[in-house]
Amino acid sequence: MLKLGLSVFAVLLVSIAGTAADTQAKDLRFSRDVLPILAENCFACHGFDEAAREADLRLDTKQGALGSGIVVAGNPTASPLIERINSKDPSDQMPPPDSGKQLTDAQREILRQWVAQGAAYEKHWAFQSPQRSEPPSVPNSRHPVDRFVLSRLSDSGLTPSPSADPGTLIRRVCLDLIGLPPTPAEIDQFTVAFERNPEIAWQTLVDRLLGSPHYGERWGRWWLDQARYADSNGYSVDSPRSIWRYREWVVDALNQGMPFDQFTIEQLAGDLLPDASVGQQVATGFHRNTQINQEGGIDREQFRIDSVFDRVATTGTVWMGLTIGCAQCHDHKFDPIKQEEFYRLFAFFNDQDEPSIKVYDPDLDISAITAQKKQAERDLGAYFVSHSAEQLDWEHRLDDEAKKKLPSKVTKALAVESQKRNLGQKFEIASVWQGTDHQAFLLLKKRYDELSKILNNAPTTLVLRERGTPRKTAILIKGDFTRPAEEVTPGTPAILHPFKSDHERPNRLDLARWLVSPENPLTARVIVNRVWQQYFGRGLVDTENDFGLLGARPTHRGLLDWLAIHFVERGWDLKSIHRLIVTSHTYRQSSAFRGDLAEVDADNRLLGRQQRLRLDAEIVRDVALVACGQFSSRLGGPPVYPPIPNAVMSQGQVRRSWKASTGADRYRRGLYTFVYRATPPPSLNVFDAPDGYSSCTRRNRSNTPLQSLALMNDAAFFEFAQSLQRTIDKDGLEDAFRSCTGRQPDESELELLRRLDSLTAARVLLNLDETITRE
Amino acid sequence: MKMTRPLNPFRDQTRRHFFSQCGMGVGAAALATMLGEKNGSATDQVENPLSPKSSHFPAKAKNVIFLFMAGGPSQLEMFENKPDLTKLNGQPIPDSFVEGKRFAFMDSSHRRNLLASRRTFKRHGNSGAWVCDLLPKTAEIVDEISIVKTCKSELFNHAPAKLFMNTGSGQFGRPSMGSWVTYGIGSECQDLPGFMVLQSGPRGPRGGAVLWGSGMLPSTYQGVPLRNQGDPILNLSAPSSVTPDQQRQLVETVGKLNLKRLVATGDDEIATRINAYEMAYQMQTSAPELMDIRDESQETLDLYGIQDPQQASFARNCLLARRLVERGVRFIQLYDTNWDHHGGSTETLEKHFPSKCQDIDQPGAALIRDLKRRGLLDETIVIWGGEFGRTPMGEVRQFTGRNHHIDAFTMWMAGGGIKAGQVYGKTDEFGFGAIENPVHVHDLHATVLHLLGLDHEQLTYRFQGRDFRLTDVHGQVVDGLLA
Repeated sequence: MLKLGLSVFAVLLVSIAGTAADTQAKDLRFSRDVLPILAENCFACHGFDEAAREADLRLDTKQGALGSGIVVAGNPTASPLIERINSKDPSDQMPPPDSGKQLTDAQREILRQWVAQGAAYEKHWAFQSPQRSEPPSVPNSRHPVDRFVLSRLSDSGLTPSPSADPGTLIRRVCLDLIGLPPTPAEIDQFTVAFERNPEIAWQTLVDRLLGSPHYGERWGRWWLDQARYADSNGYSVDSPRSIWRYREWVVDALNQGMPFDQFTIEQLAGDLLPDASVGQQVATGFHRNTQINQEGGIDREQFRIDSVFDRVATTGTVWMGLTIGCAQCHDHKFDPIKQEEFYRLFAFFNDQDEPSIKVYDPDLDISAITAQKKQAERDLGAYFVSHSAEQLDWEHRLDDEAKKKLPSKVTKALAVESQKRNLGQKFEIASVWQGTDHQAFLLLKKRYDELSKILNNAPTTLVLRERGTPRKTAILIKGDFTRPAEEVTPGTPAILHPFKSDHERPNRLDLARWLVSPENPLTARVIVNRVWQQYFGRGLVDTENDFGLLGARPTHRGLLDWLAIHFVERGWDLKSIHRLIVTSHTYRQSSAFRGDLAEVDADNRLLGRQQRLRLDAEIVRDVALVACGQFSSRLGGPPVYPPIPNAVMSQGQVRRSWKASTGADRYRRGLYTFVYRATPPPSLNVFDAPDGYSSCTRRNRSNTPLQSLALMNDAAFFEFAQSLQRTIDKDGLEDAFRSCTGRQPDESELELLRRLDSLTAARVLLNLDETITRE
Repeated sequence: MKMTRPLNPFRDQTRRHFFSQCGMGVGAAALATMLGEKNGSATDQVENPLSPKSSHFPAKAKNVIFLFMAGGPSQLEMFENKPDLTKLNGQPIPDSFVEGKRFAFMDSSHRRNLLASRRTFKRHGNSGAWVCDLLPKTAEIVDEISIVKTCKSELFNHAPAKLFMNTGSGQFGRPSMGSWVTYGIGSECQDLPGFMVLQSGPRGPRGGAVLWGSGMLPSTYQGVPLRNQGDPILNLSAPSSVTPDQQRQLVETVGKLNLKRLVATGDDEIATRINAYEMAYQMQTSAPELMDIRDESQETLDLYGIQDPQQASFARNCLLARRLVERGVRFIQLYDTNWDHHGGSTETLEKHFPSKCQDIDQPGAALIRDLKRRGLLDETIVIWGGEFGRTPMGEVRQFTGRNHHIDAFTMWMAGGGIKAGQVYGKTDEFGFGAIENPVHVHDLHATVLHLLGLDHEQLTYRFQGRDFRLTDVHGQVVDGLLA
C-alpha cells in the first residue's frame, strides 16, 4: 500500500514539476522519466566519456547496464543498482555522497519501477525524429497551437486567460513582429476594425507587419545575437571591422522570406554554391563574426584555431541546440558525442581563408562603370600621347633649380623614363605641367576620378573562402593546438542521421545540407523553439541551447514536434511559423497575473496566460524614438554613432574615437548602433544586449538601477524626452501617454502627470516600466 | 546552495524586504493596502537581487579588493631575489627549463638568455621576505601579508590571460570573480553597486568591459566602473538643465505610476523596478559622497601619498577602495595599466618600471595600514598582482625588458583570513618554475571564495546544460594561505 502510494506520488511529482512531457504520466517512459535522472546523477562517471568512466560501468546503454549485471530487468531486488541507490552506507551509496549529487525518494522509486517494468532503453527524445500527431481535440478551438496548449491546461484543471484588449494586442504584436510600437492613430484604426471583426482585423494586421521591412530588422537582431555579430575585432586591440553588409544580408533575407534551409546553406557555405553570387559570399560572414586577436607577440595559429573552435561550437548551439563545444577536450560527459566527432566537425571549418570582399551597391551597374573607367583611361592615354612632345619639351627645359622646387612625387615621376610612366605618374606630372587643352584634360581626369572612386570606395565585408588545398585536421589532445594526435576527416556525429556527400572530401556545403536535411531531428525543433521563446519569454524547451541529455524536457512535446514538422513541410518558412503562433489564442491571452494559475503553475509553463516581457535593449531605444517622433526609418547602411557618455571609450586598451552622428543617423534604430566589443554602447549593454563574444541564444532580462539611471539621465534619452515634451505641449498628455504605452491613461494617472511640468512629464513617460515592457 | 539558472532571477525574495526597500513617495501602509488588493502572492517574493545572501558556511571575510597590475609586473624586479640569475647573466637558460614551452613573441624578440635582476634586494620584517629597493613602503608591511611566489596561469597573451585571471577561463562569456561573488552572497551596500571597478594609468586594461563582465549571469552582477572624471557612475547625474526638484518629482511619479501598474498586472518585475529607481535615486547622493574625499584628514591623504585629492591616481583609487569597503561594497577591483615592460622605448625595466613601482608602492601599503587601523583588514581580502609575471630571460629589444611568463609569478594577499607575514611557495634558482607549493589561478579563486564562505564547487550556475563554476572543474583551497 505504502509503495503504491509512493509510486503514484512520484509520477505526479514529475508531471507537476514540468519535467515530464506533455501527456499525463501513465506509464513510465525511459526517455521522459528515467533518462534525465540517470544523466544528471550517474553519467558523469558511468556514461559516454570513456576516460571518465568508473568501474568500467556504463549506464547510458542497455548493454552497459544489463550486460554488467548491475541491472536485472524485471527484478529490482536482484539489481545492484537499486541496492546501491538505496544504501545508507556512505562507502556503498550511489551517487557517492562526495559527488554532491543526491537522489530524491521519488527518483529512487522511478528507477525501481523502471527496473521492475523491464529496464527498457530508448533514444533520448531529441535524437528521435519529431513525431507526427494530430493536435488534441478540445472544445471551441480549431487552432493547432491552442489545441495542444488547452489540452495540457485542462489536464491540470486550469483554464486559459481571456484575450487581451485590442490596444494591448496591437502593441504586443507590433513589438514582437517589427520591434516598433504602434502610433495612437494605428491603435485607433485597429480598435475600430477589431470591434467590427476581431479575426479579420487581426489577420490583416499580422499580414501587414510580416510584410513590413521592419520585420527583418526585428528578427534580424534575433539572428545576429546567435551569429555573435558586432562591429569590432575584440580581444585587446578591438579595432573596428567592416561586416555590416552581412547584417544587411540577414535583414534582407528575412524580409524576402528566404526559406530557413537556404538561409542556413548560404551562411555556412554560400561561397561553395555554384556561381556563388556576391550575396551568397556575403552570407558566409556568419562565421566571420569570430574575434581576431591583434595583440603583439601572439601565435596567429593559436587564435585561428580558437576561432575554428568557436565556429564548431556555435554551429552546434545555433542549429543543433547541442553543447558540442564540450567535446573539444574530451568525449562529451553526457551526450553521445566523441571528441573525435568534434574534430570531424572541426575539419569542415579548418579549410578556409578569411578574406574580405568589396560589396557594391546593388543599384550600380558595375560592369558598365568598369567599362566607362577603361574608356576614360584610354582617353587619358590618348591625351598624353597627343601631348607628349609638348610635355617632353617642358621637361627638358626644367633646370636643377626648378626641379628642386617640385613636389617629391613629381620628381620621382620625372625620374622614370617617359615611355615607362604609369598613369599615376603622368597625373603627378600633369599637376605641375599644363599643356594646351588643359581644361579638356581636367574634365577627363575628373570623370576618371569619379569612376575610380565608385569602384574603390565600395564597403568591404568579411567572408569565408575555401582553400585550394585543405589543411590536415587532427584530434587535439585536451584541445591544445600544439598536441595534434590522430588525423580525422570531415564527418558528423554518429548519434544523428546519416551524412551524405558527393565529394571525395566532404565540405561545408555538405554539412549545411546535412543540418537542414528533413531527417535531422534537431534543427527544425531548435529553431521553432527559439522563435517560440521570443513570444513567451521561454521556449517549449527551457534550455534553448541544450537539447542534450542534461537539457530540459519540452513542456509540450507534441506541440514542439507539430511545429517542427509544420515548419519543414511549409518549406522552412519562418513567416508561416510567426503567423501561426501570433494568430493563436495562446499568444493573444491577457498577461495579467492570476492567483489560481500561480498556485499550480507559478512559472507559467502551461501558458495559462501571456507573459509581460521587458523589451530588448535596442527596442527600448526604438520605442522611445517612435514615441518622441524622432525615429528615422532608414533601412540598412553602415553602423551609426548615436551620442554616448564621454567616458565610455576610454575603457579599452586603445581609445577609439566616437564622433556622434548628426542628422537622421542620430535617430536610427538600436540595431544600427556601432558595437565595439571591448567598449559596448552603455545604454544597450545595460539592458542586456549581447556583447558579441559568443553566440547568444537567449538574452537575460535583468532589472537594475543602472537601467533607471540610463533612462532618467542619459543624454540621448533626455533628447527624446525634450521631443516628447513638444508632443505634450502640442497634443496633450494623453497622446504622449499613448505613444509610450499604447493605452489610454486613467484619470488618476493623468492627475499625477498633470502636477508636473511637461518636460518632467515626458521624462516620466519614457521611464515607465510599461513603456519598456511588452505586456 | 545549488544555484541553477532562474528564469526570473529575482525570486526567493521576501515581502518584508520589499516593504523596507520601497517606501519612497508612498507610505508603506498605503503600499501594503494597495498590494493587499492583489489577488495572489507574486510580490511576496520580491527583493533586490544584490541584497546579502547567506554563504555556504561561516565566512572569514566580507569584502575583496583586487589591485590588478595590468600588463604583468616583473616579480624578478620586485620580490624574487635570484643570485644565480645574476651569476649567469647573459647565458642561455638550460634546455630542461624551456623545452616544449611556448612564449609570447616567439617569432621576434623572445630569447633564451638569462637577464640579471635590475634591482637590489633586502630581507624585511619578521618573515624575512625579500623586497627590492623600489618598494620601501611595501617592505614595511611584509608582516601583514602573504607573498605568494608560485602563482601559475595558463595563457601568455594579455587579453586571454586577463580573462583567465578574472574568470578562470580564456574563453569569452564567463562571469568574472566579482560577479560570482555578488551572485553568491550579494552585497551589504544597497545604495551602490556590489561590484565596482576603478582605473588608473594611461589607458584602459586590455580586454575592456569583458574583464568585469557577468558572462552568462544576469547583468545585475556585472562590475560597474567608478569613473575618475565626470559622473563617477555613468549617467549618475541628472541632465544639467534639470533641477533637483524636477528629478525628485520624476522618481516619485515613476514610482507611483509603476506601483499602479504593479497592482493592475501583478507582475513582480515591476516591484523590482520600483526598487531599482529607489536605489538609482539614492546612488545620485551616495556616489558623489563616496567620491568627495574632502572629509579625509591630511594625515590620511599623506599616508596614501595623495597630493591632489581631485586628481585621479592609483593612490586616490586605493583610498576610494577603503571608502567602498566602509560602505559595504562587496568586490572592488582596481586596474593600474602599463605594467608590460618588454624593453621597447617606452617600456624599459630601467626607467619606466621604477616609476610604475613608485605609483603603487605607498598607496598599496597605505591601504593595508589604513584598513588595519580601522578594523577593516580582518574582514577584507586584499589581492595584489597582474595577469602573469615576466621571464627570467631577457628580450632583444631596444632596451632591457622581459617577456610574459606564466609558470611562476608573484602575487600578494592580505587580510580577511589570509595568514599574515609569510612567503608562500618556492621557485627554482632562476624563478622560472615552482619547486614547492604551486598556486594555480584556480586555487587562488577557490581560496578567495572559501574565505568568503563559499564552496567553489557548490557556487554554480546552470547554462547550456552544464553547471558552470569560477574554478571550472579545478581548484583547491590553499590551506597554507589561511590564517
